[in-house]
Amino acid sequence: MGLVENGKLPGPLTKLLNISRKYSLWVYQWGLACCAIEMGAAFASPRYDVMRLGVIPFPASPRQADLVVISGTVTDKMAPAVRRLYEQMPEPKYVISMGSCANCGGPYWDSYSVTKGVDQIIPVDVYVPGCPPRPEALLEGIVLLQERIASEDMTDRWNRDPIVVT
Amino acid sequence: MNLEASTQQLSYIANQASDARVNIELETEGMTLNLGPQHPATHGTLRIIVRLDGEQVVSAEPVMGYMHRGYEKLTEVRTYPQVTTLVNRIDWLGSFANEVPFILAAERLMEVEAPPRAQWIRTALFELSRIANVVLFLGDMAVQLGATTPVFYAFRDREFVLNQIESVTGGRFHPNFDRIGGIKDDLPKGWIQETKDVLSRIHSFCDEMEDLVVGNEIFQTRTRGIGIIPADTGLAYGLSGANIRSSGVDWDLRRDGGVGLIHDQLDWKVWTHPDGDSFARYWVRLQEVRESCKMVSQILDGIPSGPIMAKVPRIIKVPPGEAYVETENPLGIMGYYIISKGDLVPYRVKIRSASFNNVSITPWVLKGVYVPDVISILASLYFILGDIDR
Amino acid sequence: MSSPDTKAEEIVEDPIESQEELIIDETRNAFVTSIATDLGSDFIDSHVVPEIDVWIRVTQEAWLETAKILFEKHEMSFFNFLSAIDWMPSPFGREMDAAIDNLDDEVSVETEMEWGITGGEKRFQLLARVHNPVTNLGVNVKADLEGDFPEVETWTPVYPGANWHEREVMEMFGISFKNHPNMVNLYLPTEFEGHPLRKDFPLLSRRAKPWPGIVDVELMPGEDDDDTEESGEET
Repeated sequence: MGLVENGKLPGPLTKLLNISRKYSLWVYQWGLACCAIEMGAAFASPRYDVMRLGVIPFPASPRQADLVVISGTVTDKMAPAVRRLYEQMPEPKYVISMGSCANCGGPYWDSYSVTKGVDQIIPVDVYVPGCPPRPEALLEGIVLLQERIASEDMTDRWNRDPIVVT
Repeated sequence: MNLEASTQQLSYIANQASDARVNIELETEGMTLNLGPQHPATHGTLRIIVRLDGEQVVSAEPVMGYMHRGYEKLTEVRTYPQVTTLVNRIDWLGSFANEVPFILAAERLMEVEAPPRAQWIRTALFELSRIANVVLFLGDMAVQLGATTPVFYAFRDREFVLNQIESVTGGRFHPNFDRIGGIKDDLPKGWIQETKDVLSRIHSFCDEMEDLVVGNEIFQTRTRGIGIIPADTGLAYGLSGANIRSSGVDWDLRRDGGVGLIHDQLDWKVWTHPDGDSFARYWVRLQEVRESCKMVSQILDGIPSGPIMAKVPRIIKVPPGEAYVETENPLGIMGYYIISKGDLVPYRVKIRSASFNNVSITPWVLKGVYVPDVISILASLYFILGDIDR
Repeated sequence: MSSPDTKAEEIVEDPIESQEELIIDETRNAFVTSIATDLGSDFIDSHVVPEIDVWIRVTQEAWLETAKILFEKHEMSFFNFLSAIDWMPSPFGREMDAAIDNLDDEVSVETEMEWGITGGEKRFQLLARVHNPVTNLGVNVKADLEGDFPEVETWTPVYPGANWHEREVMEMFGISFKNHPNMVNLYLPTEFEGHPLRKDFPLLSRRAKPWPGIVDVELMPGEDDDDTEESGEET
């Protein structure tokens, strides 16, 4: 234990590990606002079907999840719960910020009760813009994240810039 | 005191004492169960603190505000056309329906009326967004009760409705299409025929749900007689929409309110159910989807020709005044109370959203039910968090 | 379904707008007369828009009494909403808007309080609406409130649905309700300072980062470039 995080594994083994992580991303089943429905469409509808990408949207507990999609507006009242949820997830963990609200506050940029960007409370790996983003955009975010995981070096994990879906 | 009375009294005291002894031996201890704010069964971020005695709910207190975005304040710093962008996101499943009462209230203050064609297209989109909204409920309610298949069907068929909305408005989710004095664009070519195909799909979806869910024995056992809301209690709490119609109140603003939309020119029926339980709420919504399909297909056959925008100034300033307009939205009655002072921005907008009142009955209706029924009752009341918290 | 032509004719005949003065709404007038008699001196003003809506204004003391009369005598069993209005003009004026949104300078910033339908005397006004689902008659009730942090009787004994609405009014306006079962914040965290819907509550994000104005406006179809005088040349 700890070998993976320290980057002391031999190269081929790291690669094998990365590939297996890439195709078994467990996503926490949790929605916040409008984007949650588009996330639901991406995860549950036969048209988009995220499982063909090796993403498994089953866990109902953050302790079993590798990836969480922050799908919607984070309010100041919700922010502590989001933080706590993130802390409950086991390492290595990934965060996709979905939609304008989670990215920067979106249409509620001047509201008194909305957190302007979820990146103020937790680190974000992928930003998916849109209000709400189409399911395809979320899928592209996931694919880009998988590409990054495939070539990930654990020691360098926190030094990389977040991915922005364009 | 005569002998008989004192014997009675003594036996009563003895009974009480033995009951107390049993209670001490069994020792039912109160327990607090916290549902949410991140719980898969509470669609979104509603949190309910439930106090339990064994399996029974003693009291339930919803805690809201996890999705409170401050709509009523934000409308005071947005111009009228900007407000429609915001209010789209209140009930995010039936977005177009949120714009309609706001636009109608602003139109009433400005004393403009949309041309007939615009009103017909408005009504068509209004009903399509109801279909898009309630179809998801029909699948989701089954998920809450442990059946995963119907939600896949719901998402599958909902996509077709969203496609039709998108091809008119350009927005899959948040159309922002309604304008003061009309609508933004005309219908695209071939839309009417495509929509007819979609409607027949939705019809067969309803039949499927009727077989798969309504006829299911487990579903019936878990919903019949559960969460009964009497009509007068429901009204005093402000329940509206299908929730109150399933308690036997024959009241639908599409038929009785009659502002701005053309429901009175169509042939359709208001469905009610006398039971007022979870099953009735599901059943009424299922029938309403069918009625909506009927309405849309009549609209498609009869759309009049003509312009789609009335004469309105480029810069919209609404004359001073107050107006309240409510419509029968997918979730229930939604209304906007607009106070204008003749400015570019409204002075105050009170948003009366349906789910807020619908959910306010939960402390009353959840009292005394069993824990698994909490989920089925919440699911059947059908709320959307953005509509509660605004 | 009838043909499109007859549809158009029917709508042309629609009389509501053109003959507004001529229509006399007997139901609503009778309702106003009845409730004015019942409330006596506590009834202040009323306003009827024929065939559409009716407003009444009562005193603060008669607030609960009004609810009872509406519920019992007029069978307004459907509780619609309860809210409040802050009539004080915003001390910030248009300060929190972008300069480019202040298109016309003749919109003077108000300093005097001006009230809406049925008038008013005080800064805060309660606004509630109840409905009779059988006759389909709805009524808006207003009441002036005394003081900066007013207190008024709760409606919950008559309309249990008012519970959450009153909690919302409490946190948004600082108006508290006597005998309310659970007078705590509904939406906002307990430690939140201020009452957001008061007009003197600033939106601080607008201070920190002002609204950029209407930038990158896309042309509407059929519009020329020189037609967009209001679209902002800020870029």
